[in-house]
Amino acid sequence: MNDRRSRLRVGLAQIDARLGDVDANLDKHLAWIERARAERVDLLLFPELSLTGYRLLHLTSRVALRPAESPVVARLAAAAPELAVVVGLVEEDERGFLFNTALLLHGGRIEHVHRKLYLPTYGIFQEGRFFGEGKRLELCRLFGNPFGILVCEDFWHSDPAEKLVRAGAKLLAVVSAAPGRIGAAPMPVSQEAWESLTRASALLNTCWVLYCGRVGWEEGTFYTGGSHVVRPGGELLARAAYLEEELLVAEIDLREVDRLRWRLPILDAERTDIEGPS
Amino acid sequence: MIHRESVAARLALHPELATAALQDFIRDAVETVGARGVVVGLSGGVDSALAAALAARALGPERVHAFFLPFRETDPRSRQDARAVAAAFGLALAEIDITAQIDAYFERVEPAADATRRGNKMARERMSILFDQSKKLGCLVLGTSNKTEILLGYSTLFGDNASSLNPLGDLYKQQVWGLARHLGVPEAVVTKAASADLFPGQTDEADLGVDYPTADEVLFLLFDQGLLPDEVVARGYAAEVVDRIVHLEKTNRFKRRMMLIARLSGSAVNLDREIPRD
Repeated sequence: MNDRRSRLRVGLAQIDARLGDVDANLDKHLAWIERARAERVDLLLFPELSLTGYRLLHLTSRVALRPAESPVVARLAAAAPELAVVVGLVEEDERGFLFNTALLLHGGRIEHVHRKLYLPTYGIFQEGRFFGEGKRLELCRLFGNPFGILVCEDFWHSDPAEKLVRAGAKLLAVVSAAPGRIGAAPMPVSQEAWESLTRASALLNTCWVLYCGRVGWEEGTFYTGGSHVVRPGGELLARAAYLEEELLVAEIDLREVDRLRWRLPILDAERTDIEGPS
Repeated sequence: MIHRESVAARLALHPELATAALQDFIRDAVETVGARGVVVGLSGGVDSALAAALAARALGPERVHAFFLPFRETDPRSRQDARAVAAAFGLALAEIDITAQIDAYFERVEPAADATRRGNKMARERMSILFDQSKKLGCLVLGTSNKTEILLGYSTLFGDNASSLNPLGDLYKQQVWGLARHLGVPEAVVTKAASADLFPGQTDEADLGVDYPTADEVLFLLFDQGLLPDEVVARGYAAEVVDRIVHLEKTNRFKRRMMLIARLSGSAVNLDREIPRD
């Protein structure tokens, strides 16, 4: 898997998840992995907490999994070893602490664990009450290409994305379960915000950005969909429908990052020695 | 700063997107609990008309059971309008007169009761019938209270504000008007003066002492935008109107936080144990 391939087929599995029902969600993941395999996808993203649903509150601990021992994770990893798959789950560590985690499965095993760094605990969000904060940010690799995984609120702070890119990431995979809001425009208000962020990040970090959101209702909140792929520089390449499940597949070339960085070498020029304001 | 002229524009909703989301909400709520459909009381007014229209689109008209529940003094126009709404969306409309049971209570037990008490009793009688019918039909009771009414407390506790699911609860009255027009609610129903129809000649706007567009805008500024009352007045709204709305909002909060439970145990329902209902 170290032969570096720059052209990748990416799939964004914009699904609805059943709250608290890991078995039902596992079946859906397996079916969608099969669909993605039929479409020759190399990297498949599922949304944040895709195996459990998002708004768990006091059900959080009941659906927690220990990835290394979990038969659910083992089945997902074995389903399509040639496919790299990012799934969201409630991770329990050996101390019994819980994390909002995205796992990268590839080659039949767990390749990477990203624990959500920023836990929103304001408005309707209560993650800080039920999850522990992730402490580490690491690059993952796919066919030798470094990339980064971020979960939802991680992307509302510029630092994690910048750190990943400075360490060599050419692609940022953002998985989310962001509650939707609707206003006067045909694009949901919440997606206007997301696309502003993803496009600005693709421009400032001169990298690919994949955003995989979800759909469906959980009690009184809904998820808009509108998963999308942004090219290095900020142009929207593809977008899934709003409010409907969809497997969005796009072909991307990581060499676009090199070409853009040659024209627009802002990352090279980044300075960390600027003083003030005091 | 948001000026008065721009407030109404900020309440605009994209009709296709909003109706698609609300239809999903109804379908999801019904399917999650395995219900056969919904029951809805049609008053002849725009709120119940919009709720019924959304349900008919979400579930198909054959899964929406509409009821007209008149009292002796109910305005005959209400029956016409309820029938027009049912016809517009292909719904079967059953009529159950509530006069006998209302008279039985007030004539025998409480002959001195005022119009408010009589009106509240009728609202609860209607909801009591809808819940009984919902049990008989294996359906959920569809709520019809809008955000303006909920915030101002212009409803009867455990009467019209009781329901199993409420698609209109985050829509201000003018948003209800807009979506109702979009879905083809008869224009006469949209434009007639809103009335609880609890006694002859009653109108909401006379009861509340403020017209709906103004109430919506003031509530949007206070509740959604978090402005202080004097900041709202500074944007061109009459101080006495703002004061009245602030007072109503504050004194009616008990109606929107159901089940005030005295917590003794440290594991009280809802307060300590937030278990999602999905």
